Amino acid sequence: MKTTLPALILLALALPLAVGFQPRANSVTPKVVDAANAFLATLSDADRSKCTFGFASSQRTGWSNLPTGIFHRNGLRLGDMTPQQHAAVLKLVAAALSREGYQKVTDIMNGDEVLKNAGGGRTGGRPGGGLRFGLDEYYIALLGTPSATTPWMIQFGGHHLAINVTVVGANSVMTPSLPAAQPAKYILNGQTIRPLGHENDKGFALINALNAAQLKRAVLNYSVTDLVLGPGTDGKVIQPEGIPASELDASQQALLLDIAHEWVGILNDEAANAKMAEIKAGLPQTYFAWSGDTKNGGLAYYRIQGPTLLIEYAPQQGDLEHIHTIYRDPTNDYGAKLVR
Amino acid sequence: MMNLLRRLLLFAWLATIAPANAHRLDEYLQATRISVDLARVDLEIDLTPGVALASKVFSWIDTNRDGEISNAEGEAYAQEMLRWVVLKVDGWPVPITLVDANFPPFREMSLGMGTIRLRATARVPAAAAGRHQVSFLNMHRPESSVYLVNALVPANPRLQFADQRRDFAQHGLTLDYTVTADSPPDRTLALLVALAMAGSLFLRHRHALARVKINSATLHKENHT
Repeated sequence: MKTTLPALILLALALPLAVGFQPRANSVTPKVVDAANAFLATLSDADRSKCTFGFASSQRTGWSNLPTGIFHRNGLRLGDMTPQQHAAVLKLVAAALSREGYQKVTDIMNGDEVLKNAGGGRTGGRPGGGLRFGLDEYYIALLGTPSATTPWMIQFGGHHLAINVTVVGANSVMTPSLPAAQPAKYILNGQTIRPLGHENDKGFALINALNAAQLKRAVLNYSVTDLVLGPGTDGKVIQPEGIPASELDASQQALLLDIAHEWVGILNDEAANAKMAEIKAGLPQTYFAWSGDTKNGGLAYYRIQGPTLLIEYAPQQGDLEHIHTIYRDPTNDYGAKLVR
Repeated sequence: MMNLLRRLLLFAWLATIAPANAHRLDEYLQATRISVDLARVDLEIDLTPGVALASKVFSWIDTNRDGEISNAEGEAYAQEMLRWVVLKVDGWPVPITLVDANFPPFREMSLGMGTIRLRATARVPAAAAGRHQVSFLNMHRPESSVYLVNALVPANPRLQFADQRRDFAQHGLTLDYTVTADSPPDRTLALLVALAMAGSLFLRHRHALARVKINSATLHKENHT
């Protein structure tokens, strides 16, 4: 008995190593659930009913990048919240996203405030009479009950931003989402901010890494002036175009994955890593298409499309200071694969 | 008088709108998605006038100038728009039928964010196995428009898309595709179903024969007792 007990303890300790020890399946979901419940606890009954919806309600697809005044967002408006509620919302968004993702969201929102202060959205000299946007005009809505087991969803968005995070147990997905920017570059507290600067620069880095034959495949011979699958086109899958990643070398493929990570990596690291592995597995069937100038600083549209991925980067109306993008998964928008 | 008042209010309101620099200005975005199947081609056409064009586009549609788009005006505009669309299958023009037309409120349109959604379809003779081609051309209001046109991945696994060709401005798209014969799994399935039915009939027949034999044997036995 004296010898068997230590042996059993050793065996118990060694067993996980022998079967390939996995770290805890998910450490993010409980934090996100806690943050959501902490936010809900700050609300009155009336406010809670204003910002909570059934998981399967039509609110799920009711998102947009358009400003208030033209698109009616349901949920609670940041500008109407107490400081405590405001902080709780941002804490929830931060819990669901990565550090870089949260920074990107913050940069987009600050950019919108810059746009507002520059005079956008005013009508007849009356601020707020028409389009309304800026920091106060972002909304939060929760669909379903925050849970570590059953599906629920966080919708956070406003002008130039729509983040849809569906949480299903240990998994979370962030498709569809629309990060955009106007202006594309601004100065805040003495720092130059480019909310989608990496998306621009990495796109140009890849197109310039292609040889002549690859360029011929990748560059579309027509102009693309907008997102093809923007808001309101859920469930649509277009025929892929451009160069397949199977025709890129390893370093070019790495550049392609790095671009995709700019969108995928907005979500928390655990979920983003899983998504990146999935994208990598589908790389041979993934296409990169480009339209426009190939010199950084020029006007260009690009698209990455694979079995479980669609990314579009589209300057609007020839304006380098106004960028729209979309991030979708044709197989798993709103967590369709996980929600049975 | 009411109409005049409504129009004046409309124009007064329009005049208060500063160019919303966040949104489409002087372009009419015409985005088309094409779905191809064996015996039909469906078109989803989304039309979004920019801020500077909104009143002009609205006036094309609101022909009685009462400040509203009636069903009849909406349908008339949709039909007019479709007259500028040419759809061909294997080189032959095919008639396009309007299925649905949705118009946003003028307020949305005037801000450069209202989208007119037209849905149309063309019935075509069922495509036989082999190579085919569909071509689409949209020449509606080219003076002020930008275009997008894309083919949706076919839902029917018998269709395989090949080359896509467009002009620079995306007025048109020509798409080559192949229709395969009924897929082998379908044939296999049909064969299995036929075999199962034949087997079932055979078993039933055998069972019936056995019952007849038993009955006659029982009868024979009863006769002897």
